[in-house]
Amino acid sequence: MGFYSSILIGICITLIGVLSIYIITGMTGMFSLGQASFMAVGAYVSGIMAKQYGLPFPVAAVIGVCIGAIVGLIVGFPTTRLRKDYVALVTFAFGEAIIAILNNLTATGGAMGLSGIPKRTTLPLALLSVAIITFFVWNLKKSRFGRQCLAMKEDQLAARSMGINVDRIKLTSFVIASAITSYAGVLYAFNTTYVDPTIFTWNTSAEWIIILIFGGMNSLTGALVSGVFLGSLPEILRSASEYRIIIYCVIVLFIINFNPQGVFGHYEFSLKRFPSDVKKLFAKIKNGKGPKREVENE
Amino acid sequence: MSLQMIINGLSLGGVYAIIAVGYALIYNILKFSNFSHSGILVATAYIGYFIASKLHTNFWVTLLLTALIGGVLAVIVEFIGFRRLRVKNVNTMLYFVSSITVSMLLENLITVLFSTSYYSYPAFFKTTSFNVGGIMFVTTDILMLLISCVALTILQFVLKKTRIGVAIRALSTDAKTTSLMGINVTSIVIATFFVSGMLGGISGMFLGINYTLYPKLGGMITKGFISSIIGGLGNITGAVMGAFILGLLEVFLINIDFIGSSFTPVVTFVIMIIFLLIRPQGIAGSIAKEKV
Amino acid sequence: MQRKNLTMFRNFVNINLVKLTIINRINKRSGGKLKKILALIMSATLVMSLAGCSGKAKGTTTPAPAAGEIIIGGLQDLSGGSSVSGVAMDRGAQMAVKEINDKGGINGKKIKYISYDTKGTPQEGLNAYTRLVDQDKAVAVVGPPISNIGLALTETAAQKKVPIVGAFIDSRVTKKEDGKPQDYMFLVQPTNQQSGTIQAGYLVDELGLKKVALFYDKTNAFGVSQVEAFKAYVLASGGEIVEEQVFKSGDVDFKTQLNKIKESGAEAIFAPNYPKDNTLYCTQLNQLGMSNIVTMGGLEFAPPFLTTLPDPTLVDNVYFALNVAFDDPKLADLNQSYLDTYTEAKSVDDISVKVYLGYDAIRLIAEAIKNTTGNITGEAVKAGLEGIEGFDALPGKIGFSPESHQPIGLTMVMYKISKGVNEKIGPYVPEVLK
Repeated sequence: MGFYSSILIGICITLIGVLSIYIITGMTGMFSLGQASFMAVGAYVSGIMAKQYGLPFPVAAVIGVCIGAIVGLIVGFPTTRLRKDYVALVTFAFGEAIIAILNNLTATGGAMGLSGIPKRTTLPLALLSVAIITFFVWNLKKSRFGRQCLAMKEDQLAARSMGINVDRIKLTSFVIASAITSYAGVLYAFNTTYVDPTIFTWNTSAEWIIILIFGGMNSLTGALVSGVFLGSLPEILRSASEYRIIIYCVIVLFIINFNPQGVFGHYEFSLKRFPSDVKKLFAKIKNGKGPKREVENE
Repeated sequence: MSLQMIINGLSLGGVYAIIAVGYALIYNILKFSNFSHSGILVATAYIGYFIASKLHTNFWVTLLLTALIGGVLAVIVEFIGFRRLRVKNVNTMLYFVSSITVSMLLENLITVLFSTSYYSYPAFFKTTSFNVGGIMFVTTDILMLLISCVALTILQFVLKKTRIGVAIRALSTDAKTTSLMGINVTSIVIATFFVSGMLGGISGMFLGINYTLYPKLGGMITKGFISSIIGGLGNITGAVMGAFILGLLEVFLINIDFIGSSFTPVVTFVIMIIFLLIRPQGIAGSIAKEKV
Repeated sequence: MQRKNLTMFRNFVNINLVKLTIINRINKRSGGKLKKILALIMSATLVMSLAGCSGKAKGTTTPAPAAGEIIIGGLQDLSGGSSVSGVAMDRGAQMAVKEINDKGGINGKKIKYISYDTKGTPQEGLNAYTRLVDQDKAVAVVGPPISNIGLALTETAAQKKVPIVGAFIDSRVTKKEDGKPQDYMFLVQPTNQQSGTIQAGYLVDELGLKKVALFYDKTNAFGVSQVEAFKAYVLASGGEIVEEQVFKSGDVDFKTQLNKIKESGAEAIFAPNYPKDNTLYCTQLNQLGMSNIVTMGGLEFAPPFLTTLPDPTLVDNVYFALNVAFDDPKLADLNQSYLDTYTEAKSVDDISVKVYLGYDAIRLIAEAIKNTTGNITGEAVKAGLEGIEGFDALPGKIGFSPESHQPIGLTMVMYKISKGVNEKIGPYVPEVLK
């Protein structure tokens, strides 16, 4: 397993996390700060299944994802009924609660974490997972469910009056997202072979949200591209390792300030339109230079 | 629960109260959770440390300087993080993301400049604690409580009696109408950030004194918004009440052997959910219109 | 090969597309000076990433190390939460490399030390380790003093067959649960269990204190792992755990917990916490008037601990166990050259114990390589490390136990802090560990 596959697996795991955030935040407009705790659920459950009970990887993974979805259901039920601003705070508290529980349970090793999980995540698996999940989310967005979500995001009251069952949709997307995040946790656990509660803090959830916003909340393409970009930034900036996060923050602040829609805005990648899109982009850049010169001459 | 525990709880509450108010002020007018406040807490704590140790100023001068610097820093943060967003009238979520990014930026600047090792403020007072009738009072805790009370009283006075206070309260109700009334919204926002920053500076310095100085000190902000939730989001008096309740609650929970310190977040979570489901406006608040 | 280039190219295109879009938008919106400054900054980062990319491109085609050079890698947390220890260990390693190279290297070959930042996270540790092994062709790696990275690397190290010599005290890093050693992991300081036992042994056997309380951070594996062994020893020696209080990282107020300990009538408290938490602990202990109770801890109480307290004299009755004695003459030269090279360190008190661990790790690797005949590969180094017996490391003579790759023969030195002054007591090892 080469150096690059190690980095790529890490990026793939981040991408899966970002995709789940896309469902919650990009499609449904909710804001979950505790998403990383579902990653913890998936990681720990599948890890324990594989290590303690000796279950094979696929079985353990499926169990991990299912439990993740169930927990998502339990947490989501009261949470999604709350006002938008409160959802963030409650999911945050939930995240902290999960970490507290993990720290205290001896079955999960407490603060010492779970080690000795067999290493099963390979690069093809990770890439394939990203591809499948992306395909799934893509179709979700285009489906009726997806359009209902988007309608709800724009204006909840109007959506309700159109007969859309707002609460059920919010809960469904929360559960789907939780399942996807749990899967990211499973991949993570079987990659680093060791998990402990400190990895799954709200900082990770916040990072995913930042990646999403950077790429454009409304754009799936944006989420993926910015996931790759911001995910590989630490490696590229290895030489400036101290300033790494500072540069990262500055870049994100720039985008937020100058283009709050994110780099990609509402843009979605489509093979048909790609050539003309690229042409448009270059045309804009060329035109951008023209007027600038005129202003300076005045 | 003994009297000593109550005193401890109130002292803790005093610390949380100032943090909570700094947070609640911004929530009031801009309707978002200002995480950048944690960056202000850390930055002012460190700046205060350097003022105290390099210039050898006494307690009160350091406090004043730190508060002022905190205010200025908050205004800068407003400019970098939120000015453009407000002008462009974007989704509330973006404010939040921006605030988290700013706090990450500040925290990492501190780490780069001062490494992750920790520092301690020089001792300002000779007696660190004193005994009254068998109960231990810690000097800095009591001082913090008193200064919090004073600062909050002044704040209440400003909000209720001065013109700028009225403007702030108007802004918190409705931004558009306020500007229609001829009030320069931007300058009010700057003023509010300045005040929030000053409070942040005071709390930062106290946190640094009482609890050593390290880059993750900004994590205390979470206590601030939990207090706000209990007390009612956006409501300043509520935030203060919530902070004291939280302080007492924490001491109480730690005291119970079964729960102890490590299970406290679980209990806090459950309490938060209960509050939000049953009484979302918190203890003191009134339902504000949801920003649809 | 293709994949690497594809990713790089993708990244390159992405970054620059982004930058061009940004520059374009800046041009359209802001005016005058601001626009120019912003465009300048963006172009600067563009150039930097270009340089970085091309640098990386060169990196992928780096030829095998020059003949006559031995590559040893370093995995340390240089910028994350534990960077103070990581930087210290890294520096120790660098100093050892310089010292060995100045004397002519190992069997005539110079050492090239390449260290990468793990940022304290296992994922980055994995990335860095695979980079060291696959790209830089390291034959051995100096590992970190924190265990989470060690734990994440055990399987990969066994796969890649390049040994990691580190200071990760969690015994799971060096010993598998079925009793066999983790083949490619080696530890240069006592494990958490040994450490806990030593501290318990001194408390119960030497000081004769039977009523012990525990106060530790439940969310920090460092303390939690020592507590188990500590408790086991106390109970086995007829002592009693009268109170067990915990806190979580980030907590700053311990008065409630300490009060309970006070009420339980404990004679001693075991406090294996990070220095930052222990400064608060000492201050609050003093505030509650509990300084007559003995506190036992480890290297977290070692210098520069006392200097970080505003009033060191309130630290009293604290015993701690340390890997080395700071006045050990063996350390004198090393201390001096550290102070000369790293001028921000003002006195011996500013030198962390981790420096010595990094220094020893390199020397142990060098010793293993010295005894290797034939090609120097990871496997050969591993065999060499296993064969080391009675090597003169800074704390004492050590070898690696074949059952666990944990060091045998290590003692620790006990110290006492009385009213803010460090007093050395002497080397100590309980009967069970002899």
